[in-house]
Amino acid sequence: MSEQKSNNRGTGKDYWRSLDQLAQSERYKEFLQREFPEGASEHSNAWSRRNFLGIMGASLALAGLTGCRQPEEKIVPYVRPPEEVIPGIPQQYATAMPFGLDALGLVVESHVGRPTKIEGNAHHPSTLGAASVFMQAELLTMYDPDRSKLVLNNGRESTWDSFVAYWRERADIHKADRGKGLAVLTSPFASPTLFRLKNEFLRAYRDATWVSWEPISEEPVVEGMRLLTGEPLMPVYRLEKAEVIAAFDCDFVFSEPGSIVNARRFMDGRRVAVDFDPMNRLYVAEAAFTPTGAVADHRLALQAGRIPALLLGLAEALLNLGADPGVFQRQRPPQLTEHERAWCLELAKDLLIRRGKSVVMAGRKQPAHVHAIAMAINAALGGVGQTVSLKLLTDASLPDTQAFASLINDMKGGRVQTLITIGLNPAYNTPGSLDFGGGLERVEHRIHMGLYADETAAKSTWHLPQAHFLESWSDARAADGTITFMQPLIAPLYGGHSDVELYSLLVTGRDRAGYDIVRETWQDRFPRGLFESKWQQTLHDGLVEGSATPDENADLGALRLVRYLEQHPVSAPAADEIELVLTPSMATYDGRYANNGWLQECPDPVTKLAWDNAACLSPAMARRLGVKNEDVVSLRIGGKSVDMPVWIVPGQADHTVVTSLGYGRTAAGRVGNGVGFDTYPLRSHLEPYVRRGVTLAPAGGSYPLANTQDHGSMEGRPLVREMAVGDYRKHPGAIAEMEEHPPLKSLWEEHSYDTGYQWGMSIDLNACIGCNACTIACQAENNIPLVGKEQTRKGREMHWIRVDRYFNGDVDQPEMVHQPVPCQHCENAPCEQVCPVAATVHDKEGLNLMVYNRCIGTRYCSNNCPYKVRRFNFFNYTRDYAETIKMAQNPDVTVRSRGVMEKCTYCLQRINEARQVAKKDGNREIRDGEILTACQQACPTRAIVFGNINDPDSEVSTARARNRTYYLLGYLNVKPRTSYMAKLRNPMESMLNVEKTYGKQGGDR
Amino acid sequence: MAQIFPRWTTRLPLFAAVVVVAVIVGGVGFFWYYGSPEYTHVGYRPTQPVAYSHKLHAGDLGIDCRYCHTSVESSATAVVPPTQTCMNCHTLILSESEKLLPVRESWATGMPIEWVRVNKVADYAFFDHSAHVTKGIGCVTCHGNVAQMEKVMQVEPLSMGWCLDCHRNPDPHLRPLDKITDMKWQPGSEHAEFVERVKKEWKIDPPVDCSGCHR
Repeated sequence: MSEQKSNNRGTGKDYWRSLDQLAQSERYKEFLQREFPEGASEHSNAWSRRNFLGIMGASLALAGLTGCRQPEEKIVPYVRPPEEVIPGIPQQYATAMPFGLDALGLVVESHVGRPTKIEGNAHHPSTLGAASVFMQAELLTMYDPDRSKLVLNNGRESTWDSFVAYWRERADIHKADRGKGLAVLTSPFASPTLFRLKNEFLRAYRDATWVSWEPISEEPVVEGMRLLTGEPLMPVYRLEKAEVIAAFDCDFVFSEPGSIVNARRFMDGRRVAVDFDPMNRLYVAEAAFTPTGAVADHRLALQAGRIPALLLGLAEALLNLGADPGVFQRQRPPQLTEHERAWCLELAKDLLIRRGKSVVMAGRKQPAHVHAIAMAINAALGGVGQTVSLKLLTDASLPDTQAFASLINDMKGGRVQTLITIGLNPAYNTPGSLDFGGGLERVEHRIHMGLYADETAAKSTWHLPQAHFLESWSDARAADGTITFMQPLIAPLYGGHSDVELYSLLVTGRDRAGYDIVRETWQDRFPRGLFESKWQQTLHDGLVEGSATPDENADLGALRLVRYLEQHPVSAPAADEIELVLTPSMATYDGRYANNGWLQECPDPVTKLAWDNAACLSPAMARRLGVKNEDVVSLRIGGKSVDMPVWIVPGQADHTVVTSLGYGRTAAGRVGNGVGFDTYPLRSHLEPYVRRGVTLAPAGGSYPLANTQDHGSMEGRPLVREMAVGDYRKHPGAIAEMEEHPPLKSLWEEHSYDTGYQWGMSIDLNACIGCNACTIACQAENNIPLVGKEQTRKGREMHWIRVDRYFNGDVDQPEMVHQPVPCQHCENAPCEQVCPVAATVHDKEGLNLMVYNRCIGTRYCSNNCPYKVRRFNFFNYTRDYAETIKMAQNPDVTVRSRGVMEKCTYCLQRINEARQVAKKDGNREIRDGEILTACQQACPTRAIVFGNINDPDSEVSTARARNRTYYLLGYLNVKPRTSYMAKLRNPMESMLNVEKTYGKQGGDR
Repeated sequence: MAQIFPRWTTRLPLFAAVVVVAVIVGGVGFFWYYGSPEYTHVGYRPTQPVAYSHKLHAGDLGIDCRYCHTSVESSATAVVPPTQTCMNCHTLILSESEKLLPVRESWATGMPIEWVRVNKVADYAFFDHSAHVTKGIGCVTCHGNVAQMEKVMQVEPLSMGWCLDCHRNPDPHLRPLDKITDMKWQPGSEHAEFVERVKKEWKIDPPVDCSGCHR
């Protein structure tokens, strides 16, 4: 790279952040040279700076008249104080978030009755104490002022009681003909109470239809296991036992079900805490570039449609090596290229050497038979029972797309009189190949329950506001079957009712409280006489210890699968046939989080786009089409077309268009309406994720996208350091030697910082998966405001910890790495030296402090920060918060106003809290690990460690002493307190040769 | 030619300079004093919705502060008591009193009594009661002798300078833990030895960095 400084030897690899940088485009250069992009400090709205100042002057004059005494403030105590609530001391409650067929165990912090922060439950098998972006953002959804507040009857305000009366009438009619013409459509669930009520419903209305469906679900996985074994099973991976992992279109560390646990267990096998610790090896074949692809040791970019063929190629290679997965009889695998065959052979060898300690995973974008083949291969490799176990799904209502399609058919045929839709928005997210809207028109009684008065509510005769899971009683089973309880943190804010209460009403016609209904379930299930103690214990723990379902000893004979494959031979798409890959959005998921600003503003881990979805293309494909970023193209398939902007993603498979679902909502709320482009019309229920034969044509014009990609770029200095693990072990000092500089001397007399607590952080790039959990955890903990798409485009996003994404290598087949960057808390902080009012200073524990009430907003500090981690409040972003959003704020952190700088504080409020706890607890020292910063606590892979670097035995001191440790821009002598540990990869020699010969892009090229 | 300006005008620049300096000094002085929390805050004595007398309860009857301000030793906030605390006694004592009507109303309707805050530190400062009262700082140090107040009044400026005075030199304010709520306690002759002992024992090292209170 031309701009590489002479004072470093490089990182071993040349990194680039974007195509603009690689091309050194004008826009990129401008971004580099200016602290903020042009115009960023000017108001873009109708108020010019001058008339703004005029108005400000006027309001100052008025303020002067109101006197100097602060306004009168009220103290409003309880009338009857609830037990155990002490104002000022937050409480923690265990509950869970239902997500598909999984339940994510949570611990929620509550300040005098207001839930303020969601964390993972360390004892729960689905979260292990970590929290994904969705889990944390659910808090904002609960407080969302746009949630539905009224029962609506034909669009007019009504009441729950009138609905109850209405339903009793309908129930009598339906009971008379045993439920004929009555249909219930719900999202899939695994919940003892809901399952009990579903069964009671089907007993009461024998001929009624009950369909569970969701736009994005575990259906292909479960159906794959059914195809192989005849039973609906759920694979639960034990990646800590796996030494070789092969993921086929499976983003298991980020967007697939169970990602939190899988990411943690996977990283446990490759931390290399001590230099000679073993390190697992990951092979990935995928179309879209995913966080899993980013951490892979070998990644093959391949059209998603070729993945089934590739997997059969692996099966054949294993067969030839003597480990027969038993999936072939007469049929042979489809033709693969020489490259793909070589790839499969090398992978097969590596898997086979580690027999019993290797695993093959398939992603849910792949059809059922791919999951069946993958599990058959696992059986042949002796992995079933070791690296993966199969659990029978109990108390579950499984997703069933076929049943959903036939329900729509029945609706169209006028065979459904009453349709009850619960917790779903099919009027928005039904695939374009099915006409849900058309079917709904033919249904006379349309009842909808949801968090929002959404697209489906608008077309229903009744809409019922749903209570959020943080407001309701329920229960669920985690993916491994662990029984999990949900308890309300707050009474329904907007008067909603839970799905449990509606189910119960549908069955019994009685309006009962969710609490009683859930207790009724467990009266029968908990041992007699022990009910109350069991109930209390479960509420306290959030789960029933040891309630996971035992491993299923399924018949993995594969005979069913062989027959299926004979009838449905696997074919690979023609070389130049363009395929469309639809993925869940990392921001809106399937569209449900469209009105959640935290998620909308959180940049995608790979594209770094916020506030939009785009048609992602490989650089080669964009070249062929003659399009560049932000050009609008028309995607056409199956008679439907969508116009959307292009975003070029290096490393994506060629001949593939990747775009996410869940945008273009029309009735999401004030945040989500009109954000992005609705891609559900392009979807088919038969091929929900991957479709061949999409056509793509420039539609003319361009559409501005907000991306955080070039913001604060660091100009090619050795910021991310990476090595192959073999080379590293031979020469552990190499990481430190990547940067050379003359002896560092300070211009100032330096503080020694050698007494008391000295806080420091270590971030392990080898464990980071770029999932953004830290960013959202920080946003929730520290009251970080949202700025919106326009401001994000100007580089004004406020995240205190950003996750940088770098590419290295060839533009068509690069590697990707992620690097979280919070304030580095430099001991010689450059920001402090330029502040004219001492608003940013050091404390004796080494923290770089930001004193809001001193800050006058010169922004000199930000200008002088080499890491670009300081954030400025250009506007009073928090002024217009709705009352409910104010309730979500952390009372222990100042809410900032316009004109002040802010940045990471190492969660000062948590440090001070721990200090007080320790002092009150007999004046002891704060223990190592007692303080968890918000980012550290949320991190699924435990990449972040925080603690006292003055204590040689603390975890952070141990981390800093390792050979992999380096300091970002260490040669500046700013002495950062945040250190990084270099990334390692574990490539295999023979596979490197394959890559050298054929490259890393599969398919016919 | 006749002089346009009379002779005294030659002294005008000097006069103007004196006036300007006087105005600046006066202005700064004015705001220094009249704008300070010492002037604006000390003596603040709002009327409360219930004519509750600390003098009667804490002084004459001798009820300990912590009977009502229950969480002062465990939490950042000392807590203004719930209506229930009043009703513990007033269901039996003065149960018909006119003055207690708002309390009985609150009890009956479930609507809280809205007390007016008297002592308030700025929003961007985070004060912790428990950190002070468990380390030998008495109620009277910041709140004054509440037991003599018919109507509670702010007696200290609660400004940053005032906080720092004590954080830099806590010695004169330290007292034994069993005297925390004692309004009349005075340091005795052995105070110096006492301070030396407890500063070690209780690890008293009040923060003077910004991070101590601002976050």
